[in-house]
Amino acid sequence: MDVLSVARRIPTWLLPLIAAVIVIAFPYLGAQSPVQRQVILICSLALLVSGLNLSLGYAGELALGQAAIYACGAYMTGYLGSHGYTDIVLQLACAIAAALVIGLVTGIPGLRLGGWALAMVSFFLVLLVPDILQLFANQTGGAQGLTGIASPSLLGKTLTPNGFYVFATTVTALWLLVLRNLVTSRHGTAFRVLRENPVLASSVGISVFRMKLSAYAIGAVPAGIAGCIFANLDQYLSPDSFGFALAVSILAASVLGGSASIYGAVVGAVILTLGPLESTSFQQYSLVVYGLLLLVGGIVLSIGIAGVLQRVWARVQRRWLPPARSAPYEGDLLPRTEGTALSVDHLVKSFGGVNALQDVSLVAQPGQVTALIGPNGSGKTTLLNLICGYYRIDGGTISVGKEQTTHRPYRIARSGVARTFQTPSIPREITVAEAVRAGRYATQRAGFVPAVLRLPSYRRARASDVEEARRVLALVGLADQENEIAASMPLGTRRLLEVARCVIARPKVLLLDEPASGLDENEVERLAGLIRKISDSGGTVVLVEHNFRLVLSVADQIYVLARGQIIAEGPPSVIEVHPEVLTEYLGVRVPEADDLLRTPSEVADND
Amino acid sequence: MDAVWSGLALGAVYALVALGYHIVFVSSNAFNFAHAQLIMLGTFIVYWGSVTLKLPIGLVFLLAAAIVGGVAVLEERTAIRIVRGTEGQLVTTLGFATLLNGATQVIWGGSPLQVPFFGSSNVLVVLGGHVFPDDLILMGVAVVLTIGFVLVSRMTVLGIALLAVSEDREAALMRGINVRALGIGAFAVSGIVAGLLGPLIGPKTFAVATLGSDLALKGFVAMAIGGFGSAPGALIGGFAVGLIESEAGRYLGASYSNLMIFAVLLGVLLLRPTGLFGHARERMV
Repeated sequence: MDVLSVARRIPTWLLPLIAAVIVIAFPYLGAQSPVQRQVILICSLALLVSGLNLSLGYAGELALGQAAIYACGAYMTGYLGSHGYTDIVLQLACAIAAALVIGLVTGIPGLRLGGWALAMVSFFLVLLVPDILQLFANQTGGAQGLTGIASPSLLGKTLTPNGFYVFATTVTALWLLVLRNLVTSRHGTAFRVLRENPVLASSVGISVFRMKLSAYAIGAVPAGIAGCIFANLDQYLSPDSFGFALAVSILAASVLGGSASIYGAVVGAVILTLGPLESTSFQQYSLVVYGLLLLVGGIVLSIGIAGVLQRVWARVQRRWLPPARSAPYEGDLLPRTEGTALSVDHLVKSFGGVNALQDVSLVAQPGQVTALIGPNGSGKTTLLNLICGYYRIDGGTISVGKEQTTHRPYRIARSGVARTFQTPSIPREITVAEAVRAGRYATQRAGFVPAVLRLPSYRRARASDVEEARRVLALVGLADQENEIAASMPLGTRRLLEVARCVIARPKVLLLDEPASGLDENEVERLAGLIRKISDSGGTVVLVEHNFRLVLSVADQIYVLARGQIIAEGPPSVIEVHPEVLTEYLGVRVPEADDLLRTPSEVADND
Repeated sequence: MDAVWSGLALGAVYALVALGYHIVFVSSNAFNFAHAQLIMLGTFIVYWGSVTLKLPIGLVFLLAAAIVGGVAVLEERTAIRIVRGTEGQLVTTLGFATLLNGATQVIWGGSPLQVPFFGSSNVLVVLGGHVFPDDLILMGVAVVLTIGFVLVSRMTVLGIALLAVSEDREAALMRGINVRALGIGAFAVSGIVAGLLGPLIGPKTFAVATLGSDLALKGFVAMAIGGFGSAPGALIGGFAVGLIESEAGRYLGASYSNLMIFAVLLGVLLLRPTGLFGHARERMV
């Protein structure tokens, strides 16, 4: 058992660190220049793949432009090197800057449409490389290639081959460290949420477009670094090095190594660089092999080699090295919630010829549960989607407090509106605690740079994330499951998890979309208690639900929606016996309904 | 006028590629990266049939349609049906495209092969410009195929079923539409059409292993300009791309033609992401 407790205390970064130090020290361990050259080529490819992984594996967008951005970084360096600017740090900075510009310029239009648009725009970029080089033939050498690149220097001294090797491998290792810090931080979770479901991402306040653009633009940085290294390696550049085959081999390395992984980039790069592909006899079959790799990789190895290893490791950890349970949360489970009134005024929405909502008005007060019931297709979820900004409003207004909402879902989420979904939406491969912490992404901001450098502000934000997650998990009764994989939990748990994800953001308005469907009686009871607690602490809760008994037991105010109109409103005692509601919603025919229909409040409603 | 004709003829080829994307997109909601490679394969098969085997032209058409159709069905089985999610399918169809690029290069080599045209090669003078009969036929075929596709999708039960599938796959399945059959049928049809176009496109573009990537991009730009999910949009987008390419090549120089197309693509995506004929759809939760 002692061995296990020691093993548990070994940090996960120790092994990669040792590996990196050994690789960097190769020249002093007797490695000759052919070996050094291979390692530098592996570094370049690994950098390129890591950039692709950020957009493909984490943000879920296929981008093929790494090869073009690589060319841009390489030619930028080559131009500087052949004009007397040999300082490699300057070259690196310029290459990264140029790469970022290209990444932003091509990312913005490509990401407007997403999916194939980005794939195609970035692919087009690769095919443009020879044309652009030809246009600037005086600077780039055009099809003949760029020669006369002077040896790089550092701090005024020309770098020896060994020195260049150490520089290249160190920069690569540092970049991988940056990336590791980024994806293991809350931003990594945000990327996974985005990849799983953009709608979910915007519901926790993540701007889908900006997040994807960040992933794509940050992914351009390593391509620029790789270009700088490559230009100084052979001190000769030719357009042939940056073609379609390179673009495909980057993708193949990514798929093979595992797109959603940092070290997968290195694994894929090693295999593709040292594997049989590069030997001359295989050269003519390389495209066939890449094609097969992509096809098989896309089908069988959707998680890549690193993904397989990660799963094995996760299993080993769960079996023999379970993470220490955190102590039971002590403290106030639900401090006072600052709820804000939500008011919907004369809302109109139609889809084509269908009037989904006609002149709907309602108010949800803080400290109360406002329920919205109605038959299927009556417009309940449409109303929630309008409140969250997923649809454009055709008429009327929605306000949170005094402020009218916009039509940008992530802004609405940031202004304090949190929601759950009819089908719980939980990203794969993350733990219960991480899934809950995702709810704090937008409300408690922390930038990329503090996360990468692990600054005190990042550590503070992280500590409070962890603490808050423990609080809300204890509140919903899931404290024991915090280290389980969230997506593997049963439906009832996932629903509670969604509620926890909303509560952790301390929302001004909480929208629950059919939270009780699929739950058993015990779970419904727990849910009812939870809803009551939230509203008692001052929260504004809007509950859309079919479970009539649950609604009657927790709601303070009930609105009944039918065919896009509010047909009744009032406290449970009124709705329970409201004849039109019983007719419409429960399908009960009350014989004397017509006589009872004309209650004063009903007349006022229909006016 | 010469440049206009050559632009329109090129544009017809791009429109045909875009139409192929469109057919598959409408029926299986997938983007078939490899469609341009299927057309490229068609030109190689035609070269093989008419130059190597010296078959009569009728048989060449049949051969190309059968082989390319078969390859397309194979693609549907390996790269689409068993793969879930858009990114996954993008990777696998790109893999299939790369495979076709590599395979044609291994079999037929890297240099362009001249594909003979079965009809007359005498230059005609139409509206004051010189044009090959093959070019006129290509334009005609592009227009006729577009009209045909629009008619099928508007007038027949099959077309309405296709619309239903592209709108909501699961709902269509529940209404008794055989979604799988439609998906594989769409690949078969797009493959057969790609094969049948081989004898028309080959003489214009030559059979060369880099043709696929070039056509894939231009076809995509055609679709982006016209608007995703619109057949007439694909046609007009294709002609627009062809015209831009030939006019830019004429006035600015050959190395500018791709750059101009890229600039137009960026402009369209920035200013009107839905294209000229596309419609924005509201997201569902």
